[in-house]
Amino acid sequence: MNEVPVHVSDVSLAYRLARNRAGTFKEFAIQMLRRQVTIEKLWAVQHASFEVKRGEVFALIGPNGAGKTTLMKVVARVLPPTDGRVIVRGTLAPMISLGAGFNPELTGYENIVLYGTLLGRDPRDMRQSADRIADWAGLNEFMDVPVRAYSSGMLARLGFAIASDIDPDVLVVDEVLAVGDEAFQRKSFDRMMAMMNSGTAVLLVTHQLDKVLEMADRVLWLDKGRVKMIGEPKEVVGLYRESVG
Amino acid sequence: MKATTHYDSAQIRRPLLTEFSNFWSYRGLLRLLVTRDLTVRYKRSILGVWWTLLNPLLTTGIMWLVFGQLFKNRFATGEPYVLYLLAGVLLMTFFSQGMISTGAAITNASGILSKVYVPAEVFSLSTAVAAGVNFVIGLVPLLIIQLTSGVGIPWTALLVPIPALAMLGLVTGLGLLVASAAVYFYDILDITRVLVQLVYYLTPVFWPVSIAGRFEPWVKANPLFSYVDMFRNVAYRGVLPPLWELVVVVGSSLVILAFGVWVFSKGWKNLVGSL
Repeated sequence: MNEVPVHVSDVSLAYRLARNRAGTFKEFAIQMLRRQVTIEKLWAVQHASFEVKRGEVFALIGPNGAGKTTLMKVVARVLPPTDGRVIVRGTLAPMISLGAGFNPELTGYENIVLYGTLLGRDPRDMRQSADRIADWAGLNEFMDVPVRAYSSGMLARLGFAIASDIDPDVLVVDEVLAVGDEAFQRKSFDRMMAMMNSGTAVLLVTHQLDKVLEMADRVLWLDKGRVKMIGEPKEVVGLYRESVG
Repeated sequence: MKATTHYDSAQIRRPLLTEFSNFWSYRGLLRLLVTRDLTVRYKRSILGVWWTLLNPLLTTGIMWLVFGQLFKNRFATGEPYVLYLLAGVLLMTFFSQGMISTGAAITNASGILSKVYVPAEVFSLSTAVAAGVNFVIGLVPLLIIQLTSGVGIPWTALLVPIPALAMLGLVTGLGLLVASAAVYFYDILDITRVLVQLVYYLTPVFWPVSIAGRFEPWVKANPLFSYVDMFRNVAYRGVLPPLWELVVVVGSSLVILAFGVWVFSKGWKNLVGSL
């Protein structure tokens, strides 16, 4: 049996865009009557195939708009692929814009429970873990305060603490390496490293090429939605740097 | 509820089955979302959750003043007008509030849905259930008025869950249709708000059916008339609803729920990408 945690084979994803996209139903109805509606497919990712093994750090690099985030969202189950197939074995922890699910009116504690549940955990389980999470984020005193009173650094810390509280089989990280102050950055970096060492497969999207060289085992270079190359970090990052100039 | 342990994008989505099993496996989240809906709205107010109770009472009070006192003679219902009103207001508030919040549920959750995998239909169901909980809370003053006015609580009141659950199905089904459409066109919600208001006035909430005169058959052709009438029959009139009413209520609810979920399921693949 194939036990690779992340298996992506020939995946393509198209966003469907209506030409002269009508934002309102009224406009759409008018265009429909005039037969001006044409649906266009915008291919964000085409024919991508790769695997991420246990304990491996797999980085996606490429210029803005290359489809990196889209490809990550396909792996994270957020976007269903238009073509091809994605298989993820085990629990997946997505770290894509942390804290997107926070409700400003709810307290820190309530948000821990809600956000954790959104990530697929049991609410009862979350209530038990709440103290530990608050502790780790260094936000114990603020647990009864609505998060609208939090600073952006505090929000990011809480988001990271919740998302990283489980020991996932697959971790999907999108540009969240720069969270909070320096002390917290080191703390979160250590935590991610610990996860990797315990066998978690990591899929990483970042523009910080030095981080890629430091952490990644393999690198995928995505360009205009297509896989340009997959290989050793030094080689791929070197060629990518050359192409960017 | 367990975290996804295995995800295969090639797994085929089975309309209705997939959604209803999602509702079940995400029931923990559902409960959290419902309480969030109910508490957050009044978080920064003095009376807090008591507004849930006050809102239908105030609406009823205003209508009672206008139609029960000023236009007294024209709105003769042949039964205690306050009960007639409050029952109508409660069930139709369930409908209108539920439609508006359920219709906006998916677009409101776009921040979450475009970052984390959660079945979108869970958000729609949670808002519909929240409207249902508001309705259930509103039953308390209705029953108190029944007791104090001497009408009493008939045994048929045990059947209240039938129109209530049917309304939940109707709101969830219609709401899912609106919510999916609202992802593509933002003015769908404005259109819905107007239509909901229209339906509210076309349904005998504060006016007796007899007032419609020769339009009476048309009034009764509106399925919501049957919902409201059935609710009044069982809640305080102590009358068993006629069979056709039961068929209309339960039938329309199931058909629309199935239709809404099915359409949602068919269009689901393009939904998140368009958020």
